[in-house]
Amino acid sequence: MKFFDVLKMANANLLRNKVRAGLTILAIFVGSFTIILNSGINYGVNRYVDSQLEAAGGEGYLEIMKMESMSDMIQMGGMGSGGPTEYDPDGGSGVQPITEDDLQIIRETPGIIAESVRVFRMVNVEYIQSLENDKRFNLSISQWPSDTLNVAMASGRMVDNNSEEFQIVLAPEFAEALGYTEESVVGETVVLAVALLPATRPVQVKRVEATVVGVQQQSMVGMGRSFVNEALNDALYDASLSALPEELRPDTNFFAMAEYDTSMSEEEVQAMRDRLSEHGLQAMSIRDQVGMMMTFFDAITIVLMIFGGIALLAASIGIVNTLFMAVQERTREIGLMKAMGLSSGKIFLMFSTEAILLGFWGSVVGIGLAFVARGVGNHLAAQTFLSGLPGFTLIEFNPTMLVVITLVIMAIAFVAGTAPARRAAKQDPIDALRYE
Amino acid sequence: MDKDKKSVLEARKISKVYGKKANRFVALKDIDLKIERGESVAIIGKSGSGKTTLMHILALLDSPTTGEMVVGGEKSTKLKKAKLGRLRNREFGFVFQQFFMNPNDSVLNNVMLPLKIAGISAREQKRRAMEALKAVELEEKAKNKANDLSGGQKQRVCIARALVNNPKVIFADEPTGNLDSQTGDKVEKLLSKLNKEQGITLVVVTHDEDLARRCNRQIYLKDGQIIRDERKKKTGGAR
Ligand SMILES: Nc1ncnc2c1ncn2[C@@H]1O[C@H](COP(=O)(O)OP(=O)(O)OP(=O)(O)O)[C@@H](O)[C@H]1O
Ligand SMILES: [Mg+2]
Repeated sequence: MKFFDVLKMANANLLRNKVRAGLTILAIFVGSFTIILNSGINYGVNRYVDSQLEAAGGEGYLEIMKMESMSDMIQMGGMGSGGPTEYDPDGGSGVQPITEDDLQIIRETPGIIAESVRVFRMVNVEYIQSLENDKRFNLSISQWPSDTLNVAMASGRMVDNNSEEFQIVLAPEFAEALGYTEESVVGETVVLAVALLPATRPVQVKRVEATVVGVQQQSMVGMGRSFVNEALNDALYDASLSALPEELRPDTNFFAMAEYDTSMSEEEVQAMRDRLSEHGLQAMSIRDQVGMMMTFFDAITIVLMIFGGIALLAASIGIVNTLFMAVQERTREIGLMKAMGLSSGKIFLMFSTEAILLGFWGSVVGIGLAFVARGVGNHLAAQTFLSGLPGFTLIEFNPTMLVVITLVIMAIAFVAGTAPARRAAKQDPIDALRYE
Repeated sequence: MDKDKKSVLEARKISKVYGKKANRFVALKDIDLKIERGESVAIIGKSGSGKTTLMHILALLDSPTTGEMVVGGEKSTKLKKAKLGRLRNREFGFVFQQFFMNPNDSVLNNVMLPLKIAGISAREQKRRAMEALKAVELEEKAKNKANDLSGGQKQRVCIARALVNNPKVIFADEPTGNLDSQTGDKVEKLLSKLNKEQGITLVVVTHDEDLARRCNRQIYLKDGQIIRDERKKKTGGAR
């Protein structure tokens, strides 16, 4: 018997009991849909993150924190599982401020470009205001970390850390808020106000004027912040502390920034990181930071995939049941075909094919509805929580992935079908022909 | 030709025993039988006399408890399962009392089944199935659902299915058992026409005297033994 005829017959046999086949396919669909949609979301998110990482650049750029291990940071976030740790007045656990000695160690670490090493001072700006009107807006700023990073600009250019001029690149939407367009705001002067320490009510501020050199586009690296150059950041930092006596000034330098020689081999980079780590200095690239986020995301995906897998397992029991019933019903037909010389192998193949077809259709229906869900889901997402992130399609399908999932489901169906198919293959034609 | 003298099927001292100990039942006992090419053989006997059992063994569907079958000079015990299947597929045709068709499939598909099993191309399947349907005068029913035919038509479809692979032997187990005498008559005529015109060897199990009389050899079974084996003087097979 030709395989095409086997396929045709298996398909016709399925169609013979449409309701039963349909319900089995439905059961498979529940599993396949869950898995396909999940993999679609995972792929969509990963692709977006990858594209953003690609665009962000940051090769050879490191952010360095002082702590015993990465897990300290998770503990800092309140997610530690080790329970309460005893207080130590000299510190020693958690994140420590970066000292001048630490900076020296970083500079002396082989591979690090010494002149790129600097502390990253965090400054809270109270508001931003244009010189033209009285409207004040909340603003979060950050020193432009490194020219190895890329941020797409809507207009103008990025701030220059080597310039003495006070420069700022605005986050998107601030141009209009301040009464300009993205183009016209470039070159204008704005006022940044920092709160004086110690904090008072009402807040006492010190105003610093800065020149807008550009407006950035929405991006993951930007995260809604505006970027200032080092000169402006230092000026704002100093301004906020200007009312405090020297000895009361807090140590708030929790980050250092550094660049390393990108021509180093992977082993050399690892050695460099290990050396920093020996001194309690944990270096993270942009990729590391995103990677930590993605680990959580991947874990959730895996859990949902397991649910899909359980649904598939239940569905395969349905396949076994469906096929046993079919074998029972077709006892005579099997006997007849065997009497006419069809081999046991082909009978096995015919029922296996039926099982595989069930798996195939279950997965095709899953894919079909997953595409519908993609359309609806992406539309809703774009209008709600992803509205600020153009280019982020939540659900994306990887064709290879779809093929692999389909093949895996077909394989599961085949395995489920082996028991009924074997029973059919072993049937004695005589018994079948005498069967009433 | 030399080959013509050879018997198509030969049973040598065949016995068939069902069950064990207290349930032991001898269905066939010491059957010696040679069926020549072109013969039409009727196997006649009371219900339970072992007709169906004998036919199944002759058709290599079942194996005897003792004794052996010889087909085309070869002992069937020497043949592998796959070879037996191929032999049945290429050289035998089957007609059963209860039709055994796929009732929801088309007539054409039912007739094509042995050709599908043989792995013949789709076009050839169709051509030969239509030819076989023409031989039983049912070509206009090809597209119909098998279930929608009358009993006599169903049995003719089964005959078409049995002869579609140009078999050497057609085995028929009470082909008229489920039909009224008039439609049964038509089926009988059809079978004996195949025997006479195409030289297909015919082995018919029946307790219908009419059908038995049309055959040129009558074998009477009683309690699993041949009690009479009569041949008409003139063998009817053309060639
Ligand atoms: N699988 C089996 N197990 C036990 N006994 C069997 C089996 N198959 C057949 N028999 C017995 O063998 C005997 C012959 O059966 P067979 O079917 O050959 O009879 P038959 O001559 O074809 O009868 P009928 O005209 O009623 O079809 C019967 O007594 C039957 O009960
Ligand atoms: Mg019988």
